[in-house]
Amino acid sequence: MTQALAAVDARPDRAPSSPPPARKPKLEIRALTVSYLGGPPVVRGVSLTVPSNSIYAFIGPAGSGKTSILRTVNLLSIDLDGARVEGDVRLDGMDLLAPGVDRARIRRKVPMVFATPQPLPRSIYENLAFGPRLAGVKDRARLDELVEKSLTAAQLWDEVKDRLRHSALTLSGGQQQRLCIARAIALEPEVVLLDEPCSGLDPISTLKIEEAMHSLQDRYTWVIVTNNTKQAARVSERTAFFLMGELVEDGPTDRLFTAPRDARTGDYIEGRFG
Amino acid sequence: MTSRRRRIDPRTAQLAADFVLWAGTAVTLAVLVFIIGFVLRRGLPYVDWAFLTEAPRESGKAGGIFPMIVGTLEVTALAVLLATPLGLGTAIFLAEYTRGGPLMRVIHFGTESLAGVPSIIFGLFGFVFFVITLGFGWSVLSGGLTLAFMILPTVIRTSEEAIKAVPASYREVALSLGASKWESVVKVVLPSAIPGIVTGIILSVGRAMEETAVVIFTAGSSLSQAAPRSLFDGTRTLAVHVYLLAREGISTEKAFATASVLILAILVINSTAYTIMNRFIRRYR
Repeated sequence: MTQALAAVDARPDRAPSSPPPARKPKLEIRALTVSYLGGPPVVRGVSLTVPSNSIYAFIGPAGSGKTSILRTVNLLSIDLDGARVEGDVRLDGMDLLAPGVDRARIRRKVPMVFATPQPLPRSIYENLAFGPRLAGVKDRARLDELVEKSLTAAQLWDEVKDRLRHSALTLSGGQQQRLCIARAIALEPEVVLLDEPCSGLDPISTLKIEEAMHSLQDRYTWVIVTNNTKQAARVSERTAFFLMGELVEDGPTDRLFTAPRDARTGDYIEGRFG
Repeated sequence: MTSRRRRIDPRTAQLAADFVLWAGTAVTLAVLVFIIGFVLRRGLPYVDWAFLTEAPRESGKAGGIFPMIVGTLEVTALAVLLATPLGLGTAIFLAEYTRGGPLMRVIHFGTESLAGVPSIIFGLFGFVFFVITLGFGWSVLSGGLTLAFMILPTVIRTSEEAIKAVPASYREVALSLGASKWESVVKVVLPSAIPGIVTGIILSVGRAMEETAVVIFTAGSSLSQAAPRSLFDGTRTLAVHVYLLAREGISTEKAFATASVLILAILVINSTAYTIMNRFIRRYR
């Protein structure tokens, strides 16, 4: 009890007793089950709701199904990994798993940033323009504007504005990952999915990415998978804890970290696990 | 006493390996340079502007090789233009659209068998099928079609390997940014695979230009005074000309001169292709 109160003191802006701010749901996942090639399900009946303009963290040990959920929202698991998916995933009420949906169009709304930075072997500018061009943006001035806006949003513009024509592969790892975030933002998405985006990065690059997420929260919704519970506590408003493909519990990050309802959550957060 | 195997000192082994590898490379290079140098030394003195631009006279004992140059380029170009889209398409299908199923194994087995077939068999097939059955006669068309089949396996295998060597993450990124599968292939995978694909095509150009058995059977060996004007004209390619000049004992000088032109032509085509390719891919680095 005292611990919980201490947390309230530390974050006076958010009282755990008051209901969460009434924001409309952005991403709704209902009874989602994912399995690969006839194997046992790696995600079992997960239901959760990501409110719009929030930062939502998925935590849990390896093999808990976090990444599979992310890749299913982006529909990559279906197209590339041969996943079998049951349940419901809705973006602004639109059923993403319905047959006949335009998957490329959905991916533009929910782009993904991967754990290792994945710049394409072309210039910084062309990396940024890649998505918008596919979406049909041809106007040069509009592309220039998107590139600058996205790089600025990802806190990379000042570092690369004089060398947009250089290969993206010449950037450092931290810069490459911010490039990938900028590339996702250039699509003008609804939700950005981040799959352990900082796992290979130094603390300063990590900080810049977290700052970027915070500063862009009014424009996008973020879902971040992280193995770093401290990062989840730092950046997210809500956190979901997964174990063996099941959602153990989710809730406001403050509450989950200070007063977990499930003993396993507390054990994991405090590192008493496995 | 227990007998232990005497171990060779690693530094000695390293020295020996260095020497063997270096010597192997040197011998290979020396043989290559010797053969090319030998042909060029005996042939180049007889190559001049007239030799390149005139028609042959007296069965090739005199005159030049202009019709053969044109014929060779036509037959080769036709073969490569036919085999490249077909082979590249098959390679894309194999590498991107099949997931190691039985269909893929059947196609692989087919292309490998095709690659192992001696060229004389291709020649025989082309003669019976294109020249006689389809009635194309001894022609640039028959020769080009048959050569296309002959080089197809090379184009397929090299292109397929090049496409498979493109990191899977590139495809993932392209899809995740809203590309369709086809867009990811065309915009991301193929540009990265271009060097390997071009290498395969260059190998094929060489094989098509220097082929004799196939071409004798399908394009003929008639010593025409003029370059072929249509796809249905017969022609004698440079390689066939070398063969006939030497075998019939017509003119050793002219045979070596023709061989020199053939070697230099392949060198020029290869280096031009690599130069163009390097200029093209530098934009992506």
